[in-house]
Amino acid sequence: MPRVTVAAVQAAPEFLDRAATIDKVIALAEEAASRGARLVAFPEAFVPGYPDWVWRTRPWDDTASTLYARLLEQALVAASPACDALAEAARRLGIWLSVGATERDPAGSTLYNALLHFAPDGRLAGRHRKLMPSGGERLVWGAGDGSGLTTIDTGFGRLGGLICWENYMPLARSALYAQGIDIYLAPTWDNSDVWIPTLRHIAREGRTYVIGVTACLRATDLPEDLPGRAALYGGAEDWLSRGNSAIISPAGDIIAGPLAGEEGIVCAEIDAEVARASRQQLDVVGHYSRSDVLRLTVDATARAAVTFRRDDAEPPARPSAGSAAPSREAAPVPGQPASRHAGKR
Amino acid sequence: MTTLRIAAVQASYVLMDRDAAIGQVAALTAAAAARGAQLIVFPEVFVPGTPIWIDTQPIWTGDEDWFALLAENAVVIPSPASERLAAIAAEHQVWLVVGVQEREPHGSTIYNTVLYFSPLGELAGRHRKLVPTGSERTVWGIGDGSTLQVIDTGLARIGGLICWENYMPLARFHLYAQGVQVWLAPTLASGDGWIATMRHIARENRMFVIGVNPVLHEDQVPAGFPGRDRLIPAGYTEDNGPWLEEGNSVVVAPSGTVLAGPVRQREETLIADLGLQDVAVARRHLDPVGHYNRPDIFRLQVNTSPQPAVIESGTIASTSKLNGDSDEYQTSHEHPHS
Repeated sequence: MPRVTVAAVQAAPEFLDRAATIDKVIALAEEAASRGARLVAFPEAFVPGYPDWVWRTRPWDDTASTLYARLLEQALVAASPACDALAEAARRLGIWLSVGATERDPAGSTLYNALLHFAPDGRLAGRHRKLMPSGGERLVWGAGDGSGLTTIDTGFGRLGGLICWENYMPLARSALYAQGIDIYLAPTWDNSDVWIPTLRHIAREGRTYVIGVTACLRATDLPEDLPGRAALYGGAEDWLSRGNSAIISPAGDIIAGPLAGEEGIVCAEIDAEVARASRQQLDVVGHYSRSDVLRLTVDATARAAVTFRRDDAEPPARPSAGSAAPSREAAPVPGQPASRHAGKR
Repeated sequence: MTTLRIAAVQASYVLMDRDAAIGQVAALTAAAAARGAQLIVFPEVFVPGTPIWIDTQPIWTGDEDWFALLAENAVVIPSPASERLAAIAAEHQVWLVVGVQEREPHGSTIYNTVLYFSPLGELAGRHRKLVPTGSERTVWGIGDGSTLQVIDTGLARIGGLICWENYMPLARFHLYAQGVQVWLAPTLASGDGWIATMRHIARENRMFVIGVNPVLHEDQVPAGFPGRDRLIPAGYTEDNGPWLEEGNSVVVAPSGTVLAGPVRQREETLIADLGLQDVAVARRHLDPVGHYNRPDIFRLQVNTSPQPAVIESGTIASTSKLNGDSDEYQTSHEHPHS
């Protein structure tokens, strides 16, 4: 298996501007690719920016509602021109492109904190919606189902990941370990110093490379017309997030970063064979498991709130993506099977 | 607000000498109790120490005398040795947690076990390591799911796992679900990566974590130890240094912040006051078995039955033994080892 360079892009989004942020993603992906990166990862909810205000506003006041409306308008829809632009960039650059986005269904009003993986052939190869938002995030994001707990064979290792504090869900991590994950993405907003020990622990526990990627963002980066800007972000502290991006080896050693207080591309060379060989020492879903004592079942079924059934149509009309047709929840994401069970590697 | 004073005892032992190691437990428990400790934790297999030959020599190469010493000095429950440990807890009215090499009364397999003694001198809990690591598999057997219990001390709910068991996410989750507030991790693991794990685990379940290691310098292995020159070959200490056990004890808060340690290359008892209210407060942020869980997606099944080598049935077995022993998940019958 080839040794490859991977990149974590620590950057500031064009806050609440989907099109401009996607332009920035593509420009930075080009730069990372020019430095040899075969996988380029962006932070949590990078498109169109992490809704930091959930930690500063009173939950239901007018500012919070206005900001939610703008986030809804600027969210990314899978199978949309904005999404296609990212897929096309991955194809043109010949890279795996993993992007955190606030995402919604075509006709949906609930937002999801999603991690999208675009393949070098231009497919949307995977989509994971965060299973459990944290605290104030629960006022803007819904919860994903188990269908996104997948890993993808990149040809240079199995790729997957969890978002921010999902990384504190031992069972979700186990679901990824069981699929032989070699390259574990942890896009996050958490820029505390305790986050790095968590990345190192996960690397050691899963004997996997871990790519932690965090946005950095200052109040002065925020658009002038942002509702509530002065009241929420007028204080002495300019940083909303200083960033915290780092790449960790399967032994738990920091091999790149952590980068803080600036934008930058954190790169490291990885070798999935090293990760796999190190599981001679520890394989928590193999020789270091006890399936006679501890057995985990994961429901990887895609779950829709409403499923439509029609007995009168012949043949059943297949709604196109983006139409207002029913069964939008069930519309498969391109490249992703509607139901994909977490199998053994 | 309830505060628990704990002691993590990083100490050395007389290798493969059970009675001397228990003497160390007695002396160090007295010292920690004098400093007000209510919960005193000793390292992994402190009685009678680490079978260091499993890493200094190829497997099964000239280890006969060493294994004989290990079997002879292992702790049987109950036995005068285990009763002596219980009496130490009772004498100082403390919770005493000690890692031991354990075996069945007539057994030849050694288990890596942690014993929990109450201030009343009762054996309140026992955990046998579920999976030994690498070369450890050549000296230790494996425990079953019947020894994965969290213990309510009245002050705090305590529990934990041994060394690299701490990397078993499902085992941790099972203990988290029992409401553990103070996590005990007796270990031999050295280095900074282990400290990252201790901090992560604290933050993952928003609880206090006590990591406790032994220290052993090559000079502390008695001159008359059988095959001492082969036990500690010159090449081994050249590669690894003179510390056979380096220590790495640490105490971590529910936030993941280090409260005490890590301490290395010396004996030291770490004392810390744990404000137990911090656990509940921190879990409003993250509770991996409550509001931060997804039981609709993840279902963990745990077989907590003892798994003895033989389940007896037939006319000479007592009727109580026959009751329900055929049920794989039946848990109410007495532990066959206790």
